[in-house]
Amino acid sequence: MQKNDNRAYWFIAPFVIVFLTFNIYPILLTFYYSVTNYTGMGGIDNADFIGLDNYRRLIQDDFFFQAFFNTIRIWGMNFAIQIIIAMLLALLFSDIRLKLKGVNAFRAMFFLPNIITIASVALLFSILLDWNFGSLNQMLLSLGLISRPINWLNNPVYAQGWVALIGAWMWFGNTFIILMAGISGIPKDFYEAAYIDGANWWDSFTKITIPQLKPILLYVFITSIIGGLQIFDLPMLLTDGRGAPRGSLNTMVLYLYNQGFSYANFGYSAAIAYGLFIITVVFSAVTFKTMYRGQVKLKRGGVKK
Amino acid sequence: MKNSWKMAGLLCGAVLLTACGNNGNGDAAGDSNGESTGGSGSGGVDLVINSFTDELAYPISVFEERHDVNIDLQIIPTENYVDTLRPALESGSGAPDIFTAEIVYLLDWIEQDYWTDLGEYEVEEWSDEYVEYVWELGRSQDGNMKALSWQTTPGGIFYRRSIAEEVFGTDDPDAMGEQFSTMEGLMEAGEMLADAGYRLFPDEGSISPFTMGSNPAPWVDEDDNLVMTEERLSYFDYARELRDNQYTALAPAWSPSWFASFNEPITYNAGWDDTDDVDDSDGTTEVFGVSLPSWGLPHVLKTDATETAGDWAVTNGPSSYFGGGTWIGIYEGSENKDLAFEFIQMLVHDEEFLTEWVTETGDVLSHTGIMEEVSEGYEDEFLGGQNHYEYFLAEAENIDPSHITRYDQRLDQMFGSAVGAYVEGDLDQDEALQEFYAEVQNAFPQINVPQD
Repeated sequence: MQKNDNRAYWFIAPFVIVFLTFNIYPILLTFYYSVTNYTGMGGIDNADFIGLDNYRRLIQDDFFFQAFFNTIRIWGMNFAIQIIIAMLLALLFSDIRLKLKGVNAFRAMFFLPNIITIASVALLFSILLDWNFGSLNQMLLSLGLISRPINWLNNPVYAQGWVALIGAWMWFGNTFIILMAGISGIPKDFYEAAYIDGANWWDSFTKITIPQLKPILLYVFITSIIGGLQIFDLPMLLTDGRGAPRGSLNTMVLYLYNQGFSYANFGYSAAIAYGLFIITVVFSAVTFKTMYRGQVKLKRGGVKK
Repeated sequence: MKNSWKMAGLLCGAVLLTACGNNGNGDAAGDSNGESTGGSGSGGVDLVINSFTDELAYPISVFEERHDVNIDLQIIPTENYVDTLRPALESGSGAPDIFTAEIVYLLDWIEQDYWTDLGEYEVEEWSDEYVEYVWELGRSQDGNMKALSWQTTPGGIFYRRSIAEEVFGTDDPDAMGEQFSTMEGLMEAGEMLADAGYRLFPDEGSISPFTMGSNPAPWVDEDDNLVMTEERLSYFDYARELRDNQYTALAPAWSPSWFASFNEPITYNAGWDDTDDVDDSDGTTEVFGVSLPSWGLPHVLKTDATETAGDWAVTNGPSSYFGGGTWIGIYEGSENKDLAFEFIQMLVHDEEFLTEWVTETGDVLSHTGIMEEVSEGYEDEFLGGQNHYEYFLAEAENIDPSHITRYDQRLDQMFGSAVGAYVEGDLDQDEALQEFYAEVQNAFPQINVPQD
């Protein structure tokens, strides 16, 4: 028995080694960067130790706060659209009274946008949304809905809306699949019993589906917020990469990237990374506290936007 | 118990696989060094070159044939180039023997220990043969030659000959250059074109290289002060003038309508009823010209303006400028510097090779001697028989390397956005300027911005 105890360490060793090398070490190194004025060039040894100056700058940085609120706004819109569409579809496809066919085909179809490379998506939409030439404007013009082309990506509100909408389009299929899995895990007896008792559609939705789905919703919410706080690629590729129009697509990770790699303020960008980390932790903790009731076991899942 | 063994087996397998994957790469890199010191030609890799385009593929194949060596060209897409290569250069592991850099980060890189000092190969002897600004940009502040470039990328105004003939009565590049030699002249041309129903440029950005006119100044001076001359600020007014008088076609650079404007009349915000007096009735408009660096001819116009081939010419704007460019050097820690230098020598200084290469690509070389020979009697079909080499070489000589700073591209971009917001009517000029200053200060805390 004694022997077996030791052997367990060998089993977890690969993970621990990988975790220490690729997770813990970079996290600590990032902290070290964040207390220097390292530019990302010329070696960390030549950088000066500047204490907490970068953090002092961070808490007074209007651009960072702008990035924070942009991120929240984009994520919020994205999540609302995405969860509503996914929920409606999931309900539709799991309704025991409708018994819709072809769930699998639809599931695959809804998931398709998710497997397109984000670079292609950005290119596709920048062409669709082009000011004078874009298909969208052409369509709206010929339908007579607008009298002059709208410069979609040059208006802060529209631009944020489009990023949210594209994100929702890419991810609703994924959320749909998770919600479907959750709903099919709810015993059919509940619905049948409710049906016999005379519950209508709305009652069984609010009294059975939602409470039973809570752990799944929590999972969707947390993975979405963690992914959403890190939104980067779409804002980066859709406009000039610095958050145009007028800083409205300047998200936290985009800001981190630009400070580190475009402006060569590597140390400050490391401090932003820590700011982002703290924000993510706070958000997850709050979500967890408000929704978690002790009976839920969360499974580890991938990052999602 | 059985299951856990299976799991452990799977895990170990996965770890082994990844480890092998890594080793595989490591071996390849190791091989390249090992082989090269051995000097054996065939089989292993003698030189590793990193770049962001496939431009070097042809020179490499020529070099491989000449020297019976193997070169591994690793192309990293532009978006990832810096982020991928810099860690290798910083840590010294996995760095290539030769790598290229774009003007955007060139001036940062030459100050680091990334490239070896080419002084030991006595490249200074060549300096007279090259366009001055291209040569000087490869020199670090302590005077070492870190990088060279085979090309030069001065810019100019490309315009449609048929429209020039109709509006100005001539399509001669010299006469047009005379007209465009001041900002006032350029605006006047805009007005004449608008009266005839054409647009001067696709968008306001086309004038951004020229607004400094005859009084160019660096973006940042020696004391790290942001230099805001009156000429620089005039970009606001000129851009507004272009927009208000509808001298542009509202087709932002690199957008689909921008490309389309080279070929055909493009839709011009159909539905702006108040602009009917200058608009064609079908709501389309034709664009007269565009400002582009020399590489715009082979890589943009010749590929995208196929309908209008032969109807183009190039001439000067109010000031000389350059855009882009690729520099190349040898990695400081390369174990194969001599062979690497052989390659660079061929790429930038081999007359036979360069003459052959330039006729193939249509690039403009920084080697003036070779260019003079190539351009002798040259007529470009696409440009209606014009000798653009002559024009670009003369322009290249006008560029003052002392005005170029490591901030240029970023600041141009930020200033362009500020002017854009002003022209769109989102901000007034003062707000746009303050926003620009804040952005500069945020990105480059070391720069002093003007205070009111």
